[in-house]
Amino acid sequence: MNPILSFIVILIGVFGLATSKNIIKSIFCVSIIEVGTILLFLNFGMYEGGSIPILNSIGIEIVDPLPQAIMITTIIIGSTITSLGLMLSVKIFHHYGSIEWKTVLKRDI
Amino acid sequence: MLIKRITIILLLSFVLYLFIISIANLSDIYNSAGKDFFADNGFYDTGSLNLVTAIYLDYRLFDSLFEAGILLITVSGIMWISEYNILTKNAPLMLDKQKTSELFITFSRLLYPIMFLFGIYIITNGHLSPGGGFQGGAIVATAVLILYYIDISKSMDVNKLLNIEKILFILLVSIAFISLLTRNEVFTNFVPLDGSTELKSIYLILLNLIIGTKVAIGLIAIFTVFLKEGR
Repeated sequence: MNPILSFIVILIGVFGLATSKNIIKSIFCVSIIEVGTILLFLNFGMYEGGSIPILNSIGIEIVDPLPQAIMITTIIIGSTITSLGLMLSVKIFHHYGSIEWKTVLKRDI
Repeated sequence: MLIKRITIILLLSFVLYLFIISIANLSDIYNSAGKDFFADNGFYDTGSLNLVTAIYLDYRLFDSLFEAGILLITVSGIMWISEYNILTKNAPLMLDKQKTSELFITFSRLLYPIMFLFGIYIITNGHLSPGGGFQGGAIVATAVLILYYIDISKSMDVNKLLNIEKILFILLVSIAFISLLTRNEVFTNFVPLDGSTELKSIYLILLNLIIGTKVAIGLIAIFTVFLKEGR
């Protein structure tokens, strides 16, 4: 588990966002960026041999709880953003009859 | 087309190079001071054994409030964008019972009370064991969504769900403001700092219950709107 690997996942999402021709695929790419962000933040707090941040027994080294607490909000916001994007794509399909960027924007991607 | 993709790949590899340079001295930008502070003071400050709950309900409650607000805004936005008006939204669902297998329906009947209880257990024990309002709310929402497969004649009033969610958000903000009277600072525990940890856990259970109910209702409303949009 390396921070560079999770950053590569984010860049794969950015590349897909720049080149995808379908609106649904663009929404997937936003989800991929979100997953990469979660991995990156959890990598910072994590180290070998650390236990979960619950103080049940004394004398155990815990991992950093702050990135995990921030990532809880990221997961919920990511799911709501995905559902909002899907609902917008349904609306676009009803209006244009297609969910290809080429038809919606009337230009070559 | 090909030139454009090659340009994008070159730009992204330049961004990756910048990231690798910035991450080279990780100990300069990130150390274990925060972790040590939470491990030493977290339990006595907040009364929560689960330090993640201690952070998102006490130290950084401001973040959680805005997160709950974003969930409320997104649910109202989805219902506003959705094609159909309120009357058709409250029409009975059109899930075809013939396509759902009898085995799935029978096992869902056995399973959904257990899922419901497990979700409530996770919400109320969020300060002692892994879990909390957000995770338990998602489990409760899944248990309620299985009911759509069991009995398709029942339907939920989406507008009522949104109204309940608005009231819960106002309740959440007002409970967060009580600490202005007792501790003289906003957005923290309303029990004084020298109170016992058992008293402090009352506040944690109360806020976890409100957040769990809010997340469950929000996810149920989103799923119901999608189900009726797809007719």
